Formats: sequence, structure tokens, C-alpha cells
Amino acid sequence: MIRALPNTLGALGVAFLLAFPLLYAAGNYDYVMHLWITAFFYAILASSWALLAGYGGQFSFGRMAFMALGAYSAGLLDNYVVLSSAPTGTCAEFGLFGGWLVFINPTGVSTSAVNCLQAARAAWPEGVSTSRLPLIVSILIGAGVGGGFGWLIGTLVLRLRAAYLALFTVGFSEILRAVISAEVWITRGQAGLPMSPIFPDGITLFGTYFASNAKLPVYYVMLGLFLLTLLVLILLARSRIGLFLRALREDEDAAEALGVDTVKYKRTVFVVTAMIAATAGAVQGHYVGIITPNTLILLQMALVIAMAVIGGLENIVAAAVGAIIISFGLEFLRNDFVILGQSVDMSTWRLVFFGLLLMLTLRFLRNGVIHGGLLWLERRAVGAETVAKRRAGAEGSQ
Amino acid sequence: MEYSLFFWSVMGWMVIWGAIGGSLIRHAYFMRDLDVTDARRVGVAVGAATGPFGLIPLYLKTPKLTRVWKIAPWLGVLGLFLLTFALSDPGNVCVSSGSFLTSQIANGLIMGTIYGLMALGLALIFSIIGIVSFSHGEFYMIGGMVVYYVTAVLLPGWNPLLAVMMACALTFCVGALFERAFLTPIYDGRVERPIEYSILVTFGLAFFLQYLVQGLGGANPVKADAFIELPRWRFPEDGSIIATSRANITLFDTIFVSTPRLMAAVVSILALLALIWFLFRTWWGKALRAVAQDRQAAAVTGIDPRIMNMLAFGLGCMLAGLAGAVLVQAFSWLPQTGAIPALRSFVIIVLGGLGSLPGAFIGGIMMGMIEAAGAGCIPDPTRAAAYLPAYGMVVLTLVLLLKPTGLFGRKA
Amino acid sequence: MTITLEVNDIRKKFGGLQVLKGVSFRIEGPELVGLIGPNGAGKTTLTNVLDGAIKPDSGIIRLNGQRIDPLAPYEVARAGLGRTFQVTRAFRRMSVLENLYVPALAMGHARSERDCRDQAMEILEFLTIDHLRNEYGRALSGGQQKLLELGRLLMLDPDVYILDEPFAGVHPTLMATIYKWIQRVNGQGKAIILISHQMESIFTLCSRLLVLNYGDLIADGVPSVVKTDPAVIEAYLGHEEDMSGTGMVNLKEENHA
Repeated sequence: MIRALPNTLGALGVAFLLAFPLLYAAGNYDYVMHLWITAFFYAILASSWALLAGYGGQFSFGRMAFMALGAYSAGLLDNYVVLSSAPTGTCAEFGLFGGWLVFINPTGVSTSAVNCLQAARAAWPEGVSTSRLPLIVSILIGAGVGGGFGWLIGTLVLRLRAAYLALFTVGFSEILRAVISAEVWITRGQAGLPMSPIFPDGITLFGTYFASNAKLPVYYVMLGLFLLTLLVLILLARSRIGLFLRALREDEDAAEALGVDTVKYKRTVFVVTAMIAATAGAVQGHYVGIITPNTLILLQMALVIAMAVIGGLENIVAAAVGAIIISFGLEFLRNDFVILGQSVDMSTWRLVFFGLLLMLTLRFLRNGVIHGGLLWLERRAVGAETVAKRRAGAEGSQ
Repeated sequence: MEYSLFFWSVMGWMVIWGAIGGSLIRHAYFMRDLDVTDARRVGVAVGAATGPFGLIPLYLKTPKLTRVWKIAPWLGVLGLFLLTFALSDPGNVCVSSGSFLTSQIANGLIMGTIYGLMALGLALIFSIIGIVSFSHGEFYMIGGMVVYYVTAVLLPGWNPLLAVMMACALTFCVGALFERAFLTPIYDGRVERPIEYSILVTFGLAFFLQYLVQGLGGANPVKADAFIELPRWRFPEDGSIIATSRANITLFDTIFVSTPRLMAAVVSILALLALIWFLFRTWWGKALRAVAQDRQAAAVTGIDPRIMNMLAFGLGCMLAGLAGAVLVQAFSWLPQTGAIPALRSFVIIVLGGLGSLPGAFIGGIMMGMIEAAGAGCIPDPTRAAAYLPAYGMVVLTLVLLLKPTGLFGRKA
Repeated sequence: MTITLEVNDIRKKFGGLQVLKGVSFRIEGPELVGLIGPNGAGKTTLTNVLDGAIKPDSGIIRLNGQRIDPLAPYEVARAGLGRTFQVTRAFRRMSVLENLYVPALAMGHARSERDCRDQAMEILEFLTIDHLRNEYGRALSGGQQKLLELGRLLMLDPDVYILDEPFAGVHPTLMATIYKWIQRVNGQGKAIILISHQMESIFTLCSRLLVLNYGDLIADGVPSVVKTDPAVIEAYLGHEEDMSGTGMVNLKEENHA
């Protein structure tokens, strides 16, 4: 009975998440929904990292870099590529399915510069419509860019030992941040790249109209992405690839000697998790409405790692649940307070606390809090069964 | 514009022929049942340096690859690169001004010494404990912060060298304590995967220390005063050999060096000499080197490896702290300052061969030169500064592609 | 097609130490070859070179005519060479059955775990560890882990098996199982290279002996002849002594411990 507990809890959890926005009636509706959306976002990153690190033993610090690659790819498409019903004559453009695919010249952070689309618009007659690329296309392109970089990095460093991957991905994040900060003409640097909402014209669901800034549709988009991610990760973990990953995590040389092309499987998972991170980044970028290079600082990556480790590195679902709990925890620890006449800046000190928690979990609770708890339950279940069997056996023999 | 087109076409030419050379030459050596260990690398170098003109004879003859074959083509690649750069941008200050070039080289050497010192700490930790510390940059940052708070806030007017020593002591103690508290499980098999555990736990430490410093000291940049301010001095009278001002020293009217950086390098070299003395002349140092070479043999001779691990981690962190302590007078300092120096140290120890101490120092000097060249010679100055961490990554990528064991690395 | 393994002038240097100084030999058909030599003779290095884990400085290895020395270990395994490790390397946190599934699925012998379950169970029964099938690898004793490695090799099904110290630290009752295993594999027409310090087993099982001494192959021949070769005796003991006696075995075992 205790054995079935995790699955029952899982099903209840999914049902709760699906129903929550419809049932929630207490105050601060938008704020609470926002917390959930952020939590799902981190849960996607943390659980995909858990597959890579916990199953595959590949410690990449590049989760945020792939996330940013996806977000910026989608953001650049959103800003500089437009579908138009009429040619502009001034932009780089070509015909596509009866319309025009227009590439706008970037004008950087200057507010006075006029780009070619604005110039053309002034001259256009009434009734010319423009729209961005379909959301799904730009997100897929973002995922592709993330996966492509994942493939390149994987090819370069995955044949080497663990430390190289960690070193290289830290470096890659720094470089990406440097590039995004420096190439102001196209990324707008620290000013951030604005992105249109997921549903720019709002959406009507079951007869109810939701405006573009409504949280409920976004909640379901992010939840869907989260559940899809979990599904993909679990299928992957249970497949042949999952078996090979665990083998090479335990002993890479032995796995090689038994015919496992370790680099290939490591790279496969590296690319898949990179694509997941990139997709999450693209969706989150559209939701938040702006992306900046600050998503690439150490803090963000460290948070994802802390979430996965505290939840349980070797269990994808535990990592996701850990991410959701910590994401909320961080929010509740935000309020500053005064102690002994000193104002304590909680936005910093909560991170000190999480750093310490990360180290202590690694040191003393190797399986993480949630996964560790599940294992404890499982042991108790096995223990209880054994006791029950013995008792039954004793009664039978009497 | 057409010059830069010229530059990039030559680079493209080199990359393409390098790639062709790599696979072609390896194939040739493989098919003729010859030793293929170095064939790919030599092929890449010959291809990049000479294109088809060198590859065809090499392919046909497949000579035995002696040391000359392993080195000379790379010098050719370097020469071709420099020549292309000079031709494609004749107005560049690096090409046209010898004085600027020599100053950059001097600065590169000076910074390289400090980079080498910091990387030495990382290499020391790796050679003894076998892990890469991801909190190295945070110790660098703490070293600088200690010096700033001691000289500017707590004890103004005291000798800054005292503050440097306090920084060393603090970083050593924090490092050693951390090693005792968190790294001991990796020695006795209590964690399943020690390397991965050490990566994560040092990363956690980095995160913790960075925000601890931010919580204690705030997120605003700080800057310490220069350790010494040189008096105005000229020799001979017109200053043609040496001339000093508050912030600069000029040698032979051509080489300009900033005083704080020079001071930092001087302290680093002194520290390096002390470290060499320690490693080669004291019992503790000899014991450390013994453990680095053969753990079990050292344990048999009565050296307690656990003490050595603690000493090594403490010393490694101290070297990072020292590098930060001497550089805080030259740069402004933030809790996030450690990220780029840490990255640079990683690149250096990979370049020098993981765990090789001389390799780490030489790699540091090379890295100093490369950064000086990159920062000084890239035409667009704002980009040149913004891309400072990128030069290291380019080097790292090339090393991983061509010689993952590093320049001075031991095999296997 | 008969199995051939040609090793031609393999050299390997670690730092200043020449570990292999031009080793050459040739194995043809279902031979059972013993590879012996004192500690530090280069036996494990040779195994690693054959397996592709270490690249030789020079020399060529061919398996069934295919050149394998520049290949990665997994490619060598697919070409038909399997090996065990001196220190057992079971996948510690995978069940015994999963340990066996890895090579079968990696080689493409089976498409799913279900496909190869029967075969895996048959092998586990043969090795007398079928009752441990759902235990983690790390729960097994040292000897059982050795058996597990042998089971994995059967699932890999290579042409040439290299067994690095299969008897070290194994309980006598399990020794019999390993003997049976070796005879079964050999009976299937596969070649085996057996590395061991246990002279009794070597002399019982092998029809041919290779003796390595500090990187040199100093003898290659029938055991009874090799045993009396003065160079071999010199290499082992530094002075002449009958090496067929138990004194030899004990000496080596002490060194090993």
C-alpha cells in the first residue's frame, strides 16, 4: 500500500495542478498564477538537468545558456522578422505563401532611429497587415538553435572526463553573456530585448475571452510544457538510452568495453535536454515580455542546481517537485526584516541560505530531500511486507 | 572592410585545410599501417600552414613524425596568422606602433604572472586531491575584499602588505575548513561519484560565498588605494631610460606599465618564490609533492594524506586569495568579480595540462599575453574589452580539439 | 571463418617508463592462451591496449583481419573483443539483470530488455547467481561480481575474451563455476586470453602460455616447455627454482595482497 503512494500522489498532483486555476478563489489571483508559471519554468529546467546529471552523470552548468539561446532566438525572430501582406521595398524580404517574409534592420537601443518597416508603413495604403511568425515556429527554431549548440559542445567535450564539461559550460555561459551584452545593435544589451505576449490578441477558451496579459492561458501553456517535458524525460529514462546512461554513469570504461558508444548517448541526452531548456526559455521569454543577459549569471544556474539537488538528483519527478517548492520558498523569503536595529536584505540572504542548504544536502542527504523521503518510504514498505510475510509464515506453520 | 574580408578569408582557408589535413593525413598513416598517434594533429597544422602545398607531399611520403614535424607546422600557423593580421589591418596600433606593442607585451607578462599564480592554486588542488574547485574565483574575490576592508575601513594607514597577509590567512583557513567539513567523504568512498560530488559542492560553496559577501558588504563596487605611490623620478635627467609618475612607469620612453599592476606582479613573484621554497625545501612541501606523485607510496612512508589534502586545498585557495589581494588595487571589486578569473584559471590549467604545476604557471603567462594581444589589437575597442573572457574560451576550444591533455599534461 | 588476433610490435611508454617493448603474437582459432608475468610486467597495459582504452605508441593489432588499434573501446567490443577488469567493475547501482542487458542491447543482439531476458536468466543460472537477479551490483560479494562480469561478457558474445585475474579473491566453490564457464566459451569455438597469478589454474586450463617480463614477451609456447625455460624462471624468481610447485603460487599471492 505504501508502495503505491508515489504514483497516487503523482496522479493527485497532476489533477490538482490542472484544476487549480479554475478553483482558486482567494486573493492576488494574478500574482499566485505568476508564481506557478515561474515554478513550472524552473521545474522544467531542474528536471531536465536531473536527467542529464542524475541519470547520465554529466554535470553541465549550461542549462541557463541553452535557455537563453532559445529565448534570444525566439526574441530576435519576434523583433526582426515579420510576415507582411505587402512588400516593403526597403527591407530585405522575399515572398512566402503569397505573403512577404520581411527582415527588419536592427536599430539597437536608439529610440529615434526608424527601421525599414516603420518607413514602409508610412508609405503603405490602408489594409496592409503585418504579423509575427507563428509562435510555434519561432519556439521550434529556438529549440533547434539550443539543440545545435548542444550538439557542438557535446561533440567537443563529452569525450573527455566530467570536469571538462562543467568547465566548458561555465565558460560558454560567460561568453554568451559577453556576446549578448556587447552586441547592443541587435540584442539591445542590458536594456533587454522586448518580446510579444504568447497570445498577442488574447484568446477565447470555452466562450471566455482572456486578454493578452491574462495569466490563465499562460498557466496552461507552461503546465502543458512541463508535463510534456516530464513525459519525454521519463520515457527516455525508461528506454534503452536510460539503461546505457545509468551504466556509463556507474562506470564509463566498463560500459565502453561492453560496446556502449558512450559519447553518442551522452550527446543525445545533452542535445535533448538542451532543446528542452531552449523551448522553456522561448516560452518564458514571451510570457515575461523581456529578456536580458542577466538570466545567465551564476545565481540562476545555481538555483536550478540547488532545486534539483535538494529535490533529488536521481529522480526526475523529485527534482521537479523540489523546483516548485523552492521556487515558492524563495518568493516567501523575500520580505526584508529588521533584527537588532539592522535591516536585513532578504533578497540576498535567502540566497546565502540556499547555498548553505545546497551544500548540506549534498553532504548529508545524498538522495535529496524528496527522493530521499521516497526511498525511505520504499524501505519501510519492503520492511512491512517482510514482517507481514514472516508473520503469515509463522501462522501457517503453527 | 575589404581588409577584414581578406583576413577572414585567410582564416577560413586555414580552417578548411586544417580540417582536410587532419582527416587526410590520419587516413594516409592508417592505411599504410603506420603510427597514427600524432598524424591528425600534424595533418591539421600542415594543412592550416601550407594548404595543399604541404599536404600533398606529406600524404605521398608519410615520413616518421619526429619532434620537428610536431612543432614546426604550428609555428608556421602562428606566423601565417600574424602576417595576415598585419597585412589586413596595416593601420592597427598593434602593427604600426612598436611602443604600444612592447607595452602590451610587458603588461601581458605582468598580468600573466598573477594569472599563473592563481591557476597554480587550482593546479595544486587538482594534483593532490584530483578535483577541480569551482569556488576558486570566490576565494580570489574574498582576497580582494579583505584587503579593501582592512586598508580602507578597519585599519586605514596600516601597511597594505599586512592586509595581504590577512587575506591569505583568511582564505587559507576558509579553504581548509571547507575541505575538512565537505570534501572528506570523497576520500573514503562514502559518495558514489566523488568527482561529480566535488564539482557540485564547490559550486555550492561559490554560490554561498558570493552571496555571503554581498549580504555582508553590499553589492556596490569598491576599489582599494594603490599599495604605493611612486614619487616623480627620472633617470637620466630627461627620463629616457626610466621615468615614473604616480600611476605609471615608463621605460626607454616606449614601455608603459601601470604601477599597481607592477606591484601586484612583484608581490606575486615573491609569493611564488616562497611557494617554490616551501614545496622543495620544507618537509611539508616535499610531503605534498610526494602525495601528488604517488598517494599510496606516500601513505606507506608515514605521510598522513588527509592532512595533505587539507593543506593542499587551503594553499590552493590561499593562492587565489593572494591573486585577488594584490589585484584589488588595480581593478574595482564586486561580489561577482570572481567569475571571469575563475574561468581564466580553468582555461590555464587545461592549457598547461591538468595537474601540472609548471604547466599552470607557463599557461598563465601565455594567457596573459593572449589577453593583452586580444584587448590591445582587436580593432573595435569596446568589443575588445567586452570579449575579454572569450579569448580564453577560444584557446580552450582549440586545446580541447587538438590536444585535450594540454601542452604539458601527463598522458592517461 | 576462424578467429584470428594478430598483435604486431606493440610499444607503449608512460612518461619515461617503457611498459611494452614491442610485443608480438598471434592467436588463431579457439585457443586458450595464458598470459603470465610478474607484477609490473605490462599485462594489464597490454589488455588495455588490445581493448582500445589506451592507444599504443606504435604497432598494429588486427582482429579477424580488421585493424582495431586506433578504434575506441566500444568499436573494439563490436569488432569482437571483450574483456573483464582486474578490479571488478559491475554497474554498482543497477540490478544484476540490468547489468546483463547493457551489452546485449548495446550490441543490438536484442531490441528490448524483454527480448534478452530468457538468455540473461539462462546465463545467471549457469553462473549460479540467478537468485540475485534483482539485487544491485554493489550488493554482490567480490566473487559474485566476478561472475557477473563473466555473464556480461557472454551477453556481449565476442570472438576473443580477455579475462584479467578472474580468480583473484574468488571462493573455491565459485572457482569451479568459472572453470565451467571457460570450458563452455572455449567449446563454442572462441579464443580466450587468461591473465592470472594462479599458476595451477593456468597450467590446468591453458594449452599455450605467453610470458611478459617488463614489457618484453620472453616466452611463447606449450606450458610444459615454458615452465622449464630458464629465462622465465629467472624473470619470476631471480634465481632458478621449480615454478610448478605451490611455493610459487603462494609467493605470487602474497605479492598480490
